[in-house]
Amino acid sequence: MSDVAASPNRRRGIVSLTLMAGIMLVGLHIAIGLLTLVWLPYEPNAFTGGRLEGASLAHWVGTDRLGRDLFTQLMIGSRIALTVGLGAVAIGATIGVSIGILAAFASRWLDDALAATLDILIAFPTLLIAMLVVAASDTASLGSAIVALGIALSAIVARLTRILAKRVLVMDYITAARTSGSSWPKIVAIHVLPNIWPTLSVNFALQFGLAVIAEASLSYLGLGAPPPNASWGRMLQEAQGTVYTAPLGAIAPGIALVSLAIGVNLLADGLRARIDAARTLS
Amino acid sequence: MTSRPLLFVAALLAGASFSAIALGQGFNPDASIRIGSLYEPQNLDNTAGAGQGINEAFNGNVYEALFQLTDAGTVEPRLVESYEASEDGLTYTFKLKEGVTFHSGDPLTAADVKYSIERVTAEASKSSRKRSLSTIAGIETPDDQTVVITLSARSISLPYNLSYVWIVNDAAGDITSAEDGTGPYTLAEWRRGSALALSRFDGYWGEAPSNGEVIYTYFTDATALNNALLTNAIDIITSVQSPDSLAQFSGNPSYTVTEGASTTKELLAYNDRVAPFDNVKVRKALARATDKARLLNSIWGDYGTLIGSFVPPTDPWYVDLTGVDAYDVESAKALLAEAGYPDGFTFTLDTPDYDPHPIVAQFLQTEYAKIGVTVNINIITANEWYTKIYQERNFEATLQEHVNHRDIVFYGNPDFYWGYNNPDVVKLIADAEAAGSEAEQFEKLTEANKIIAEDAASNWLYLYPQIVVSAANVTGYPVNGLNSQFFAYDIEKAQ
Repeated sequence: MSDVAASPNRRRGIVSLTLMAGIMLVGLHIAIGLLTLVWLPYEPNAFTGGRLEGASLAHWVGTDRLGRDLFTQLMIGSRIALTVGLGAVAIGATIGVSIGILAAFASRWLDDALAATLDILIAFPTLLIAMLVVAASDTASLGSAIVALGIALSAIVARLTRILAKRVLVMDYITAARTSGSSWPKIVAIHVLPNIWPTLSVNFALQFGLAVIAEASLSYLGLGAPPPNASWGRMLQEAQGTVYTAPLGAIAPGIALVSLAIGVNLLADGLRARIDAARTLS
Repeated sequence: MTSRPLLFVAALLAGASFSAIALGQGFNPDASIRIGSLYEPQNLDNTAGAGQGINEAFNGNVYEALFQLTDAGTVEPRLVESYEASEDGLTYTFKLKEGVTFHSGDPLTAADVKYSIERVTAEASKSSRKRSLSTIAGIETPDDQTVVITLSARSISLPYNLSYVWIVNDAAGDITSAEDGTGPYTLAEWRRGSALALSRFDGYWGEAPSNGEVIYTYFTDATALNNALLTNAIDIITSVQSPDSLAQFSGNPSYTVTEGASTTKELLAYNDRVAPFDNVKVRKALARATDKARLLNSIWGDYGTLIGSFVPPTDPWYVDLTGVDAYDVESAKALLAEAGYPDGFTFTLDTPDYDPHPIVAQFLQTEYAKIGVTVNINIITANEWYTKIYQERNFEATLQEHVNHRDIVFYGNPDFYWGYNNPDVVKLIADAEAAGSEAEQFEKLTEANKIIAEDAASNWLYLYPQIVVSAANVTGYPVNGLNSQFFAYDIEKAQ
């Protein structure tokens, strides 16, 4: 019996560790991103050193071909990655949750049509949809990248919302609310959203990680924010040709990208474990 | 800057070959020379859109022309024994070399020459040289060894332009996947997508090649190409595209790195038709605000050459114009103010998406911010460049690499994409083509060269280096690579 009683506690211990690591990594990037708004080591595009200098006290991760400080660019990269992640998830969540709820409440045939459309959209890789959206807009910009990724993510969110909402809608208390005359916006606001929110928020965290990596991929392909925005993807692309002579130029943005992606995933995992534990307990 | 044991070869060194290095060592006359390249030809016919790779493999090796553009940039007779121009410059009479045979065994006759020129000027031809041969009004063949070309207007560059015309057997038919030339090599095998093998032609009229066969192996990325040389899968890399891959080879006695002259110029081309770039003061201000030495070092490290105009040192009308509009930020600001832009202006720079253009664009963005000029970088694909800029001229400024040899003539064409229109230059370039002597032609083109530099018609950023890397036991290859040529017949491999 004592084993059973100890198990939720131990679980909570593991939960906190994962969650803590996630919060620390993401927090670090958020702190750096905020710091760039008020302070930077160098002017981001000024030629402050020689060609492809190595790490030094003056340039912590060296310089690029034009002699620009890579650490400054990495810091700005944090801000851009967070902006894109937040923006894309906000757009994806707004569109996705709206469509998902609509589908859950819709008549049979409309629901089927929406579900089929979502399945088709999800069959396309996120990056491919984002590339199509960017290509359709006239010029690549940070805004177009955010919108493109937001649209690409919305299908995944919509499908999840629809499934979760449908599961809630068959509950007895919903039937009770309906028979007592509650309007459907009220049911959504009071019963559906609060119930599906924990699972959705975990998903948003995962989508955030996806968006950050997808933005780096877009920039790597030259479809992301144009220069002088220092995106990690563009830094990786520019360092490709000099990877043997100046490996830091590729390693540093790679580590930055991976640390944020891992941080967000740990955060999502930690959240999910905590939600599961709370459910088990209740 | 670290010094590297680099064999620097001045562009104008005649001969420009390294056979002297193999001093005392014998070379293997039947050696197989393995050349690694990034430029696989699309087909084997240079009038059928085969790309620069076919020039690299076939020019001078499989096919010969009446004249040859040598690696040093001079034009010399090849299949022509002698020639003369009439007093009015409208009739050229060429005597062909005796005893020349095609690989199929047929002898070279005047009819083959007529056929070959007409292949290039034909309706269906995709040759980039078609336009320069448009003054040819008629070709006659009074006997098997004599060709008479009549022109509609004087054309001093005729011998030069004929150096691009492969002499093909008139019985050869389709040569997109076969060949019948007169060169020192015959095509042994072509494996599409991977390799092209040439073997020595024993019936060659001239001096026999100093190797037995030449194999061009094609790669799609530079890293794989470098690795092939490091693992001894190839002997030579024809054209290195970044200084950073050279670190593996320079300083290593197993390899030879040579820097020659290229004709590839990196250009900030303004649309000279539109404001503010129609104002010469604005163009001069931007030229003076560009630290070209720093840019060249950023892109090419210790390699490459600074140029003050569109003309590289291998063109006969080259003069050093790097002093015109030299780097001087203060005078750039003053000029902008004189032009009516004391607070600068904003323009969009259409930037092709491949290296080095995006990084060059960022460099210019930072440089011009210093004089108050804002640059918006718009990344486009090579195809978009062709339609938006080259065809529709719908742009303010763009970056482009211009690879051609002797291409100052583009500034004599007001309809060209950059829209530079100076009647003096148009006249000088037209008069140069109609000149009675080469001296007169050179004089007029030198004059035109100086005017475009003074007008800052475009912003000529730098000249690419031509870098060849080889295994140390291989010598005698061309170092300049003009017009993408890579003559293989003098290459020697030590035993």
